[in-house]
Amino acid sequence: MATIELDSLVKRYGQTTVVHGIDLAIQEGEFVVLVGPSGCGKSTTLRMIAGLEEISGGQILIDGRIVNELQPKDRNIAMVFQNYAIYPHVTVADNIAFGLYRSKLSKSEKRQRVEQAAETLGLSHLLERRPSALSGGQRQRVAIGRAMVRDPAAFLFDEPLSNLDAQLRTQMRIEIKRLHHRLGTTSVFVTHDQVEAMTMADRIVVMRDGRILQVGTPLDLYEKPVDVFTARFIGSPTMNLVPATLRDGRADLSSGGSVRVPPSSAKTPDILVGVRPQDLVPTQADSAGLTVSGPVAVVETLGSETLVHIETAGQTLIGSAPGRQIPQIGEHLTLHAPSERLYYFDKVTEKALAA
Amino acid sequence: MSVVAHREVAAPGGLWSRLSLGQKQVIWAWGFLAVPLVFYVVIRFWPTFQAFYLSVTDWTITKPASFVGLENYKRLLADPLFWQVFRNTFMYLILGTPISLLISFVIAYYLDRVRFMHSFIRALYFLPFLTTAAAMAWVWRWFYQPVPIGVINDILSSFGIPQQPFLRSTTQALPAVLAPAVWAGLGFQIIIFLAGLRAIPVTYYEAARIDGLSEGAILRKITLPLLKPTLVFLVVFSSIGFLRIFDQVYNINTNDPGGPLNSTKPLVLMIYQTAFSSYEMGYAAAQTVVLFVILLVISLVQLRIMRDR
Repeated sequence: MATIELDSLVKRYGQTTVVHGIDLAIQEGEFVVLVGPSGCGKSTTLRMIAGLEEISGGQILIDGRIVNELQPKDRNIAMVFQNYAIYPHVTVADNIAFGLYRSKLSKSEKRQRVEQAAETLGLSHLLERRPSALSGGQRQRVAIGRAMVRDPAAFLFDEPLSNLDAQLRTQMRIEIKRLHHRLGTTSVFVTHDQVEAMTMADRIVVMRDGRILQVGTPLDLYEKPVDVFTARFIGSPTMNLVPATLRDGRADLSSGGSVRVPPSSAKTPDILVGVRPQDLVPTQADSAGLTVSGPVAVVETLGSETLVHIETAGQTLIGSAPGRQIPQIGEHLTLHAPSERLYYFDKVTEKALAA
Repeated sequence: MSVVAHREVAAPGGLWSRLSLGQKQVIWAWGFLAVPLVFYVVIRFWPTFQAFYLSVTDWTITKPASFVGLENYKRLLADPLFWQVFRNTFMYLILGTPISLLISFVIAYYLDRVRFMHSFIRALYFLPFLTTAAAMAWVWRWFYQPVPIGVINDILSSFGIPQQPFLRSTTQALPAVLAPAVWAGLGFQIIIFLAGLRAIPVTYYEAARIDGLSEGAILRKITLPLLKPTLVFLVVFSSIGFLRIFDQVYNINTNDPGGPLNSTKPLVLMIYQTAFSSYEMGYAAAQTVVLFVILLVISLVQLRIMRDR
């Protein structure tokens, strides 16, 4: 277990800077997820922590020790790769034992550690098999086994679930989460999937274009996104944004109607009012909240809820109806969201308006 | 409904339209395959079978073939030249294959890490493979000349090392012929090795670096085992090449093919001389059958040894 600190970390490839001096402090035993669209620098950051990429500026500290120039093997970290990186020519047991390659344990002790790890991961009956005889989920467990057998200071996960099908991904998500609870090892997990980030993280780091946009608990990010990008990135389906004009403490929506806006630091009258589809529901309107109405364009039946796309003033907004209430296409529907569930952003800077 | 359906099926009537989609695909495939197949059977396989038959006759072009049983094979086994040639051929094989594979692997292994002018260097290595054996043999023969002309002897003498006879020696001639043969094949082997190395996912190496394997351990435990299919291919391919060596040998000593006292003569050259200098077609055919059997056995044994496990 260890802390990891990134101190104005920079990565440049020739003239292109892909990580622009990011700062991050990861606590002991914390599960931190780096999330962002592809090319945001999250994998590069992880690989710099692992020592697989040289750093161009700033420093990395693991347990208070600067590791900038240390070889990966000397950083006492373990990494799980997207394509598992388990060797097809050796057995599962030997693959897991690769994690102990540098350890000074006796052969029987190593064997015991491998069996222990296999036990934890439910691989005991597969130890003598070759990876080709395993399913994707089992292979990923072997990769995790190789990582955990050494008892490293930190686990680094580089999109480990992306090669799995949807159902397995959900299952492995839970397994990794439970493993983290049991072992308590500091973990850094990279993904582009916000659901993975939300479900697994103690803290989420949202990245874009080599910069950190926001760091916080999943609920922090959901409730208080600092900008439009994070607001739309976290949560599914994405947040609706309605252009509006500020006037006398009220915002006149482009879709018609207006809502009362709490006093804020808005510099321009042009703002965006955000509302999550889950908050926009067909209920009795009160005067305080956001009310939109229009014909239903698309209905997505999910069972637990029904997503309703309505068209209003040239914009499609997504709301949700209870699972068994399925509106007709073309039906005129009025949706409402209470005022405390609304988000406000500056239209130009895309930053959240401070309340 | 059923009446209409019947008429629709029956209307086009032709044989072709009555075939299922799968059958049509098979017919198309065989249609395209037929031409090369016929060519191969007529040009390659038919003469091959003819050779088996000729090997039990005494055909010499001038007189018609008559059946002589295993006479040619008996004569071959009793022929001291055959055993000399047999030894030479195996020397080419057991020296040439490991040396060429070792050199080409080392070059490929390091070339794989070079980014600077990578393609250019690779092309340089591949160039000898494109050169005709005749031209190459001339250049190498010039290398091996005595002092004022030969580059190698020039260099040796500048270090005060005595002149070497190379192609004129019974012991040095075979390695001297082998060297250009190895050199000529390097480009191809390097390309194949490079492709094999490229096929190994980078994360395998990264995972190994995190686990703390040294460069040597990565090579032994990861790179080489994963290169095994490439290695099997190249061992078999290059073995067949060295067992069939001919043009390098023939061209480097055009006035005396086979070197001093037949010290460089391989089996194929013996076959060539028996057939087209002595015109003993039956005897030459017997030699080709022996070569065929050797190639077959060695390839099968190599495949067997290297494939399993």
